[in-house]
Amino acid sequence: MTANITLSKGTARRRSDHPLWFLIPALVILVVFFFVPTLSNFVYAFTDWSSFKSAINFAGIDNFTSLFSNGTLLNALKVTLVYAVLVAIFQNLFGLALALLLERDTRVNRAVRVAFFIPVIMSALAVGYIFQALLKPDGALNGIIGALFGTEVAIPWLGSTTWTIVVVAVVHAWKWMGLSMLIYLAGLKTIDEDVLEAARLDGANRWTMFRSIRFPLLAPAVTFNVATALLGSMNGFDIVQATTEGGPGGTTELLNIFIFRTFGQGLFAQATTMSLVLFLTVTILAFPVIRFLRKREDVL
Amino acid sequence: MKNKFRTALALAAAGALTLTGCSDPGTGTDSSGPVDWPAQDADLSGTTLTIWAAQNSNTVPDSVIAGFEELTGAEVEVVTIPDPYEQGVQTKVATGDKPDLAFWQPTASQLTALNASQNLQPLDDAPWLDSYKPELRDITGILDDTRYAALITTPAVEGVYYNKEVFAANGITETLTDWDSFLQTARDLKDDGVTPFYEMAADRWGTQWWVQVQLADAAADGLWDRVNANEEKFTDPTIQGAIETYQGLIEEGLFNEDIKTATFEDQGAALLAGDAAMAVQVNSFFGQLQSLADTAELDQKIGFFPISPSGNVGTFIPDQSNALVAFKTGDADREAAARQLLSYWLGDGYGDFVNAQQTVSLQTGVETPADVPEALLAVSDSLADSVGSMQALAIANPDLYIFLADMIQGTKTPTEVAEATQAQFEELAKAQGAEGF
Repeated sequence: MTANITLSKGTARRRSDHPLWFLIPALVILVVFFFVPTLSNFVYAFTDWSSFKSAINFAGIDNFTSLFSNGTLLNALKVTLVYAVLVAIFQNLFGLALALLLERDTRVNRAVRVAFFIPVIMSALAVGYIFQALLKPDGALNGIIGALFGTEVAIPWLGSTTWTIVVVAVVHAWKWMGLSMLIYLAGLKTIDEDVLEAARLDGANRWTMFRSIRFPLLAPAVTFNVATALLGSMNGFDIVQATTEGGPGGTTELLNIFIFRTFGQGLFAQATTMSLVLFLTVTILAFPVIRFLRKREDVL
Repeated sequence: MKNKFRTALALAAAGALTLTGCSDPGTGTDSSGPVDWPAQDADLSGTTLTIWAAQNSNTVPDSVIAGFEELTGAEVEVVTIPDPYEQGVQTKVATGDKPDLAFWQPTASQLTALNASQNLQPLDDAPWLDSYKPELRDITGILDDTRYAALITTPAVEGVYYNKEVFAANGITETLTDWDSFLQTARDLKDDGVTPFYEMAADRWGTQWWVQVQLADAAADGLWDRVNANEEKFTDPTIQGAIETYQGLIEEGLFNEDIKTATFEDQGAALLAGDAAMAVQVNSFFGQLQSLADTAELDQKIGFFPISPSGNVGTFIPDQSNALVAFKTGDADREAAARQLLSYWLGDGYGDFVNAQQTVSLQTGVETPADVPEALLAVSDSLADSVGSMQALAIANPDLYIFLADMIQGTKTPTEVAEATQAQFEELAKAQGAEGF
């Protein structure tokens, strides 16, 4: 009885401390900058909005039929998926490797962690332009390789219709690996020292410890990192725009670059339709991926 | 409580939706009728005008602005819109953001892209029109019989920039007067171990000149009118043939070996150094050369001639740095002030302007400065009997250059280039509501 009274009193006080209308400012921002644009995205995709005339008319599924009958959209979607998968793989490999290397809290490690985190807070376009300069046929990377082997090297890193997408994905992963590292470090910190000690007493070597104990226990960090890297890079634009602009030969033309190009032509409705397609693709992909990754966490 | 909250959320969302509605925020004000042109020196104290410019045109107005500010007391601000300039401007205008004036490509397709009749001030009876050299007065800037753009410098011409020293060293002394002798010269140069042509497929945009110069005669014969009416397509023999010829010349080995990775900067350096004999390019290429060498060296090394299948007909392509447009901002005073600035620019300020820019004068009453390089004079001379490019005459400007660069990289065949260009052209024409699409 006493307990009940205190409880209801507590709830009442909490209610008066935090009235629901306190949410309104946040809600307004959410509605104006998130819900409305997303809904407009759905609406404008079915119109003929363009820069050429001021009237906007309903156009049915015209935009969808013309986009899907033209192979460019499907090609851009394919490129986007390949890019996202590559980024997810590289970013997590780099991030995990860094986290394991820099796990101990020494003074040097702390400084090095900061160094690897710096790219995360750099402008993505700046990163792109720096790498574009480094990777040019007469750029610094070829210069270094040439100096090491004593020959003239002029590899066009951004000029291969097969491999450039891998190179650009590595650049993207390089920029974001600091964030993955941070999350993996946090994950490693949560592992109970007793479990590790028990394993050590049982004679497990470092590799067994990693494979059978630490990596499985990192599952939540893996879920977050893989999901954000995969789904985030589906929306990639800046790095690829700065390094290749979708070239060579359209082999790195992500959907967002295609959207940008279409928007730039003044075909606003078509660009909106494409971004709706991207939105739906990311959504459709997100559910099974996150479900699968969460399933892995069941061992915990 | 929970239900109330949900209702509030739904209401808020619905309200916001209604507010957005289905209207184009870029819609301009609908003022029409003849306008007055204020005197060039009318007082404008307290007025601030904004000019949008691209990274390569933001210093062009400096001398004009200085003179105008002193004369009228107005303040003129140049805002640089980052590259790609045209896309940036279109996006801003579409969302309702407008300057008083902007550098803009004065072609039909680009004026259409800005929705000129809604967003731009007509300049039909501008006071400076009679000062133009007669053959340049109506060359561009006009859409549906209304003038929307003021031409300030000579439009670019697509043609052949060549290294005079390489030509001389290989015994080429006569001007190349037709397509066959042009190609024969290239083949002879190749036999002598010289790279005849230099192309920059990594930067993509220059790839379209080779196709367009081949279309000069067809353009004079109404090619783009037929394309605009959907009576002829990019996939028909004329245009697709030009694309195939281009591909054939590349496969024949008449171009630089690093064509896939070469950039605009590489192209300029290569022609100046004599690593290649010729490059089909436009005026901005010469601007690049000017950043590498002085006028004396350029006069000694670099020449220009226009080329077309039948002879020396140039293909002109005005670009963003050649002209300005004035926006309907809804503020009558500022609109008048913008017109006044243009009157001054092409009026009392024009002499200073061509001197400061070291550029060819468009007006009979203003002399071209003495130290304008010879190649630029040759470009300007070729303008009078040149024909319009795709950008100048077609109602839409598809990404032909991207598809051609794809072809050079090996991911598209000439047929696919023509198909992709045609598909995009149709899409754009349909969006414009053009007849026949």
